[in-house]
Amino acid sequence: MSTLTRPVAPERLASEQRAEANRRRRWREGRIGWGFFAPFAILFALTFVVPILVSIRSSFFTEKAAGDSLYGGGGLVETFAFLDNYAQVLGNAIFWEGMGRVLLFGAVQIPVMLGGALILALLLDSFIVRRVAFFRLAYFLPYAIPGVIAALVWTYIFSPGFSPINQALVALSDALAALLGSPVDLTIDFFAPGTIIASMATMTTWTFMGYNMLIFLAALQAIPHDLYEAARLDGASEFAIVRRIKVPMVGQATLLAVLLSIIGTVQLFNEPTVLAAVNPWMGNDYTPMMLAYSSMMGTTSPSGAGPASAVSISMALIAGILAAIFALVQKRSTR
Amino acid sequence: MGIAAAATMLFGVTACSTGTGTSGEEAAPAESITIDYLHRLPDGEGMTKVADIIAEWNTAHPGVQVTATKFDGKAAEMLTKLKADVKAGSVSCLAQLGYAEVPTMYTEGMLENVTDVAKDYVGNFSAGAVALMTVNGETVGLPQDTGPLVYYYNAAEFERLGLTVPTTADELAAATTAAAAAGKYAVAFQPDEAQYWLSGQTAAAGAAWFQAKDGKWSVDVSDAGTAKVASFWQGLIDSKSTLVANRWGDEFKQALVDQTLIGTIGAAWEAPLLAGDMAGSANEGQWAVVELPTFGATQMTGPDGGSGVAVMKGCAHPAEAMEFNNWFNTQIDPLVSQGLVVAAKGAMTTPDAIKSFYGGQDVFSVLAAANESLSPDFIYIPGFPAINGDMVKAADAAGQGTAPVSDIFAAAEKSAIAALESAGLPVAK
Repeated sequence: MSTLTRPVAPERLASEQRAEANRRRRWREGRIGWGFFAPFAILFALTFVVPILVSIRSSFFTEKAAGDSLYGGGGLVETFAFLDNYAQVLGNAIFWEGMGRVLLFGAVQIPVMLGGALILALLLDSFIVRRVAFFRLAYFLPYAIPGVIAALVWTYIFSPGFSPINQALVALSDALAALLGSPVDLTIDFFAPGTIIASMATMTTWTFMGYNMLIFLAALQAIPHDLYEAARLDGASEFAIVRRIKVPMVGQATLLAVLLSIIGTVQLFNEPTVLAAVNPWMGNDYTPMMLAYSSMMGTTSPSGAGPASAVSISMALIAGILAAIFALVQKRSTR
Repeated sequence: MGIAAAATMLFGVTACSTGTGTSGEEAAPAESITIDYLHRLPDGEGMTKVADIIAEWNTAHPGVQVTATKFDGKAAEMLTKLKADVKAGSVSCLAQLGYAEVPTMYTEGMLENVTDVAKDYVGNFSAGAVALMTVNGETVGLPQDTGPLVYYYNAAEFERLGLTVPTTADELAAATTAAAAAGKYAVAFQPDEAQYWLSGQTAAAGAAWFQAKDGKWSVDVSDAGTAKVASFWQGLIDSKSTLVANRWGDEFKQALVDQTLIGTIGAAWEAPLLAGDMAGSANEGQWAVVELPTFGATQMTGPDGGSGVAVMKGCAHPAEAMEFNNWFNTQIDPLVSQGLVVAAKGAMTTPDAIKSFYGGQDVFSVLAAANESLSPDFIYIPGFPAINGDMVKAADAAGQGTAPVSDIFAAAEKSAIAALESAGLPVAK
């Protein structure tokens, strides 16, 4: 108990101890945090990161028959092909035709779908609609139906011999014909090469409109309601509130919805695959995703993991570029 | 090396492995091995179930236990799965492969050479089918069923319209034209089945698209047989005498049921399927089957499907696997109940349900005869599955009348060469 000891020491010691304790606690908490994160991280790595890495790797390789006898040498050798697979994909007219189709599809379908989704969301958000929970679920329901099953149902609705739409149109045509005294044919060939893209667009719009509506609805409900009140006090009509407040304030949600839609469109697979089963002219490479699948399954040439991966990664890059362009344009225009 | 491999390492999944029989308390006497068998047999209602057939084997062979797994996806998906499993070292010992898939799998190194073991068994099967399970002089498994093309027709309708049962392609064309005059179709052109269905017809006409020349593949569809098949269908499509409908579309089935379609060229395995499509309709008891009308000079038919059971690369017990393979594929009655025209030698008994649909005819004796007249010359190349898309697309255009039928075969040739080159195999120019 000497007064000669410097009085600051115990304090410093204490603060150091506290810092140490803090560090330890943070480390312990960090460990617990990581523990909670681990199951996700492991699954994410196994089901997402590893496949992507494997796919990127395999896109640089080709597998060729070992040996040059008629049947090779009873095995495949993997050779480093560098960009050969990519050159083949990018030089493949079928890939670009498919990409052209999905882009045309997206250019029409995405605005229609998102416009519809926004209108539905605005309706649900407004006080006009009671029973919001019911409608929210009802609109979302199509998305909950597995894509392939939805595609099968729509195939039936569109199929030439059975289409209930066409049956109704036949009845209507007959009635009109009787009225006009000349033959009328209002039936639609939903599977004709010129209309099948519109038929597919109908299918995907039906499936995803409710899903996108939820995105918009969530954004609408996050808008502070005092804004509406202030606007009403200023004499704004409900329509003006929608136009001046609600729509501008869901901009971020629109960006998200468009980005998701672009990515989804480039990957278009279920609908064309199911339709191709009854419309063989579509082939097994109608969209880039179908081409990737057929390459992997060995039902088109070039086949194998290398070419299939190259198609997939090219698609991912194109989707990424489109999404980036859209995001930039959107930022510019809102600035 | 991929996800399957990673999963194997993580979870220690091993198939086709040796295990000491430690299951349960009834201490298994000696070492018992397990053979896995991946199949895509229909296993439908009223059939002798695969599980029941195998249970019989397992009881009689405590040392060699077999587990069968049904693969429910598409054939191409099963091949992809098998390839991944071979790489991962976890493949089933035995797997069902379509004959046209065997060369592809062989070239990719997925099949075990079991020539030595097979010697004892090949005598139990039709030689043509054994040849389809033999690639490059190596036997890779045993055949299970065959799919020779035959002609199915509605005998009652034929009689009503005064049509004679055709024995040649020309007679078939004549019957079809006559039927069309009465608003009926005696054949259907099936774009979705073009690959095997049309290549089988050209084989029946004597074509051999793929031949070895000086150690290289020569792909040629410009033969007389292929031309004959092309002109046959071109004529019928041009005169609108044939129904154009996808085999697996609703239109085909509806045409059968309402009797606008009163005849069809189909594979032997379609006998029970056609009966099923028309079950409960006026067609019951009216149909009959005959051998394919000749497209060439002699009574010959071509293959449309059919499959064998191959021993996969890495199988730990190929000898035992082949012993089971032989036993299973010679279970004629149970396999016939699965709708197969078996490749094993021996008499097939037509199941009662099929017999009654075909007016009491001994259908399987006709199918067996067709089996005997399969073209010995038509072989498949590695990569044959890859030509499907192009052929089907061209067949659809031909069916619509927007392109000639000959385009289908041109597409096959072009696509086959691309498939061979893509696999790195030598092609003669």
